[in-house]
Amino acid sequence: MSSHETFAHAAPLRAAGPARAAARLLASETALTFRRPRHLAMLAVLAVVPVLIGVAVRIAGADGDAGPIIARVAGNGLVLAFASLSAMLPLILPLAVSVVAGDAVAGEASQGTLRYLLTAPAGRGRLLALKYANVLVFCLAACALVAVSALVAGLALFPTGPVTLLSGTTVPYVEGLLRAGLAVLYAAAGMAALGALALAFSTLTENPVGAIAASVVLVVVSQVLAVIPQLSALRPFLLTSWWNAFDGVLRAPMDTGRMGTGLLVFAGYAVVSGAFAWARFTSRDVTS
Amino acid sequence: MRIGTRAVRWGVPVAAVAVVAGIAAAGPVIAAAQGEPSLPRRTAAELLADAAERWQSGRLPQMSGTIVETASLGLPALPAAGGATSPLGLLSGSHQAKVWYGGPDRLRLMVPDEMSESDLVVNGDQVWWWDSAANTATRIKGAPDGAGRPDAVPYAGTVTPRQAAEEALRAAGADTEIAVGEDASVAGRAAYQVVLTPKNAGSLVKEVRLAIDGETLVPLRVQLYAKGTAEPAFEVGFDSVTFTPPAPENFAFTPPPGAKVEESTAPPIARVPHGKDGEVGLDGHDGAAPRVVGDGWDRVVVVSVPKRFEGDVAGAADRAKGGRDGDGVASLANGMLNAATPVSGEWGSGRLIRTKLVTALLTDDGRLLAGAVTPEVLYAAAAAK
Repeated sequence: MSSHETFAHAAPLRAAGPARAAARLLASETALTFRRPRHLAMLAVLAVVPVLIGVAVRIAGADGDAGPIIARVAGNGLVLAFASLSAMLPLILPLAVSVVAGDAVAGEASQGTLRYLLTAPAGRGRLLALKYANVLVFCLAACALVAVSALVAGLALFPTGPVTLLSGTTVPYVEGLLRAGLAVLYAAAGMAALGALALAFSTLTENPVGAIAASVVLVVVSQVLAVIPQLSALRPFLLTSWWNAFDGVLRAPMDTGRMGTGLLVFAGYAVVSGAFAWARFTSRDVTS
Repeated sequence: MRIGTRAVRWGVPVAAVAVVAGIAAAGPVIAAAQGEPSLPRRTAAELLADAAERWQSGRLPQMSGTIVETASLGLPALPAAGGATSPLGLLSGSHQAKVWYGGPDRLRLMVPDEMSESDLVVNGDQVWWWDSAANTATRIKGAPDGAGRPDAVPYAGTVTPRQAAEEALRAAGADTEIAVGEDASVAGRAAYQVVLTPKNAGSLVKEVRLAIDGETLVPLRVQLYAKGTAEPAFEVGFDSVTFTPPAPENFAFTPPPGAKVEESTAPPIARVPHGKDGEVGLDGHDGAAPRVVGDGWDRVVVVSVPKRFEGDVAGAADRAKGGRDGDGVASLANGMLNAATPVSGEWGSGRLIRTKLVTALLTDDGRLLAGAVTPEVLYAAAAAK
């Protein structure tokens, strides 16, 4: 796989047009990401969890201590998409994104393929940009996969029809789909911020497991910090506090203010992590 | 040369951190830079008269905005004190609500929570309380003089600035010094600040600051400062506000299909929470009704506590597992009793709980006295029986 990877990066560079070259590089990089067995296994888990939630609600009924949003799933299958995102954004999706982004540079370094990559006349900055673009594609694909799987499971298991929003307003099914799309985009933006962080960790080490573990630990620690009442002042600055703000699409009128702030926080994390990763990657000595 | 290039490269993330931190801090900084708007001078009397006239005539402008409530009363931390819509939850931390005001009989108040929300919608003679977590729409009937005065709807969970301002002004009397302070900037708008300072030495309240919009004279913020603190102990005010007519769909509420529809005389939120079987007798259905002694800022509430109260409270945390409100009361009571110090005097003996703003005394003969006063005032009230 490693030699294949090297040629996949190097070969299209001879093609004319920098934009086309970049697109082809990204396409080959993405193809590699989505062909890797462990990534495929992760995606399979991401697709199965919404189905499991749906089946559980269908069998057990929606009463009892199920979360408020889970209870709504029984009434409308479309709500399963939001419930799944809400259940998977705290840990499962961040884990998948950390694995891909944390592996991006450190994985090449540990396999000894990084220095071959750097012999291509693309420049380290562009290589890093390419790696991040790949992470972005994965974030969007992972969030969309969760939503699509939930939509299909919801169609199969539950009645469909007009969707009741959190505000008690009822909107047509198509508008509900649009809102689910917005939620996916927002969730993907939140995951992309974590991806930038994991990529920065990935440039620090030659051990991909270290980078992956570091970003997962960061996710867990910031969620622990967020529930300590004495540290509530810290909450707005934690990346994890803003992931669940996608529920703004379920309100009438849509809570664009909170989601806008969330996107700014994501951008802040991405810019700082990206700058850090760039400085580290372009100044370090690559020996393996 | 190589080292120099590296230094330049590492300058980029440093600059990025500086820029992001700058933007994150820019909100408060910009607000502070606008912090001293200059409005035409008005005396306290003129301002209060003008404002009172506008509020009474009901000619409040249509508006919408976000209200933020922050309480740091110095209570023991209440991790289990319910969600944003629990009255107990409002006693600690910061909470947000959105309000749309379209006239005297059109109001929507929305309290968002994670993946759920509660709404109070007033439209003409229809008053709805919507709780998305419980999937329940409650139609509230016979709100006392509710028609034409949406603020009179018995809703204890969240206080609008207007209600709080009216309450503060009512409390003002001969024992209060009223002055106009420096102009403030609230939600980006220039506002007058009326400062109410209690004259009583026994009050724990240092001052109440009431910010009134310079243009519309709508109260924008109320801050309550306890003695010896620089930060307000309680604050409710607009975080953002626009004086434009809200969209009409905000006031149109029909129970969604599949929701439980109930009828009630008061929204569920306004009832004082208690344990499942009323085992924590805080709402006094075992004891006598609460009594108020003293006047002005020295007012003290006296409640007779049922004999089994203490034993119940100690064990309530274990038993009150059904329902988060029960948990909240139990953990609050437990935290309170743990923080209490035994005291005694000519009035008897009991346990004293002190917070920044409120002092409470639980006497051994079964009375609970509480007020925003020093312990001495409570002792005097306890001695008076």
